[in-house]
Amino acid sequence: MLEFIKKSCEKFPERNSFYINDQPFSYKTLSGKISAIRLSIEETDQSETNLVGVLLHDDIETYAAVFGILFAGKGFVPINPEVPLDRNASIIEQSEIQTILASKMDAELKEYCISNNISVINSAELKETPINLELPNISDESIAYLLFTSGSTGIPKGVPIRRKNLNAFIDAFFALGYQIDENDKFLQMFELTFDLSIMSYMVPLCKGACVYTVSPEQIKYMAIYSLLEDHEITFALMVPSILSYLKPYFDDIRLEKLKYSLFCGEALYKDIAEDWKNCVPNALLQNVYGPTEATIFCLTYDINSSDSKEYNGILCIGKPMKNVEAIIVDENLKSLSSTQKGELCLYGSQNTAGYWKNPEKNKEAFFTITENGLDKIYYKTGDLAYFDENGEFLYAGRIDNQVKIDGFRVELSEIEHHAREFTKKTNAVAIAFQNNIGNTQIVLCIEKFTEGEEELMTFLKTKLPVYMIPSNVQSLDVFPLNINGKIDRKAIKKQIESTL
Amino acid sequence: MENEIIEKLTPIFRKVFKEPALEVTATLSANDVEKWDSLSHLILISTVESEFGVKFKLKELVAMKNAGDLIKLIETKLQ
Repeated sequence: MLEFIKKSCEKFPERNSFYINDQPFSYKTLSGKISAIRLSIEETDQSETNLVGVLLHDDIETYAAVFGILFAGKGFVPINPEVPLDRNASIIEQSEIQTILASKMDAELKEYCISNNISVINSAELKETPINLELPNISDESIAYLLFTSGSTGIPKGVPIRRKNLNAFIDAFFALGYQIDENDKFLQMFELTFDLSIMSYMVPLCKGACVYTVSPEQIKYMAIYSLLEDHEITFALMVPSILSYLKPYFDDIRLEKLKYSLFCGEALYKDIAEDWKNCVPNALLQNVYGPTEATIFCLTYDINSSDSKEYNGILCIGKPMKNVEAIIVDENLKSLSSTQKGELCLYGSQNTAGYWKNPEKNKEAFFTITENGLDKIYYKTGDLAYFDENGEFLYAGRIDNQVKIDGFRVELSEIEHHAREFTKKTNAVAIAFQNNIGNTQIVLCIEKFTEGEEELMTFLKTKLPVYMIPSNVQSLDVFPLNINGKIDRKAIKKQIESTL
Repeated sequence: MENEIIEKLTPIFRKVFKEPALEVTATLSANDVEKWDSLSHLILISTVESEFGVKFKLKELVAMKNAGDLIKLIETKLQ
């Protein structure tokens, strides 16, 4: 992958690599910034894990830092400054980072870094250095990036993705046959802690194309529409919830230049996707699927016409990409045949080798099937699915207690964990439900909750990222129990829905 | 006209963003209000549309940067 990016920088120095906040940045500028950051890391970082943090802002320094770290032969750990310090501290400690690259940093985090002996490199104030895009001489077993996702114990869990995983994704992505060259314009709408962002900026840079980032300061769906329309974006990967926001204006939208319109991160509903088709008459619509553990995405489905496949209105997620095998298993991990519903499991060179320093979680999430003497390690996605007679997979919901908010994975139990910590009560249940525009929202229910809602919310905001904060808190006198004596989440959900 | 619109907008803003003391000024924007995100924006727009009996185009909404732009937009629509 780095080889492709090196080539783009050499071949297209004057073309734009990024367009951020109404400002273009050439490949020449990008390679200069990458080189300076690379040198500063090579001179500074001594960490044993070979991981370097990047504090995320919507600027060229942040993106250059990602590549500077990779060219220096290290792996990057994205750190979101908007997230509570508690959570970032857990990420920094777990990954044993000793260096953080930041174009700016608030006082609280700065103080934390000083007291924990973490070097902070100001990526906006580095001296110019000669261009150095020599490929690092390191194994492709080394980590490219480490992302943290919601963990049910209240501690975020790390997913390390190695260079070979990322290369396998890039290889499989281009094998899908997209016609992409230096004239293309890619939308980048994701926070950089979310791995769909990695596709959105790495793929275009591999081809000398330009990345258009969505400013976090604007209302997201408005900013996305502006970029698509004003800059004639040609390739856009989005989360389906954006469509729910734009739906009232579909009649006003006509994006002739969009060639590829991909959706990932949440269930994509057939009816809205078909309405969207009219807004993007020349685009190939695709529904893509994949967990962070299997590198960005790994199944794809072309949405052709009105006869596209669906289950309960949710569009088909299609077939595995070239380096991936997908199977469906029952509770005993026995492989099931077509049309039988079970847990979707993935195997192949896009799979992570396991969670970061978390053998317990690894035991739960991975299992081995021996086939012709070969041990295949499968990742259990937690998604319920089946495949049809053509080998195409259909998504049927989650098996566990996880939901997606704007594409982010959220363990409801993590919210409950922190709510219980605050209320010192046992009964707290986070319920996800669809609001009236069809997007997911969270309500927190607490038994006999008399303390202040505001204080609880303030507490949660010190523990959880914004997308995990419940939209409101409701008190119930008694929690209904099911026949097994467990809290009946479904019954609570019904009670809540009737009051909203 | 402008004052009348602000008077009518204030309770809408306060309710949508759950800030009972919020003052609507021309320069007020999403950066100043914690709960002003995609979802509350959508609710704000649809509430304004029904309360004022107007309908906005997507292009008009995209060009809107703050409450002042919204006030002007409502004013033009009402004339």
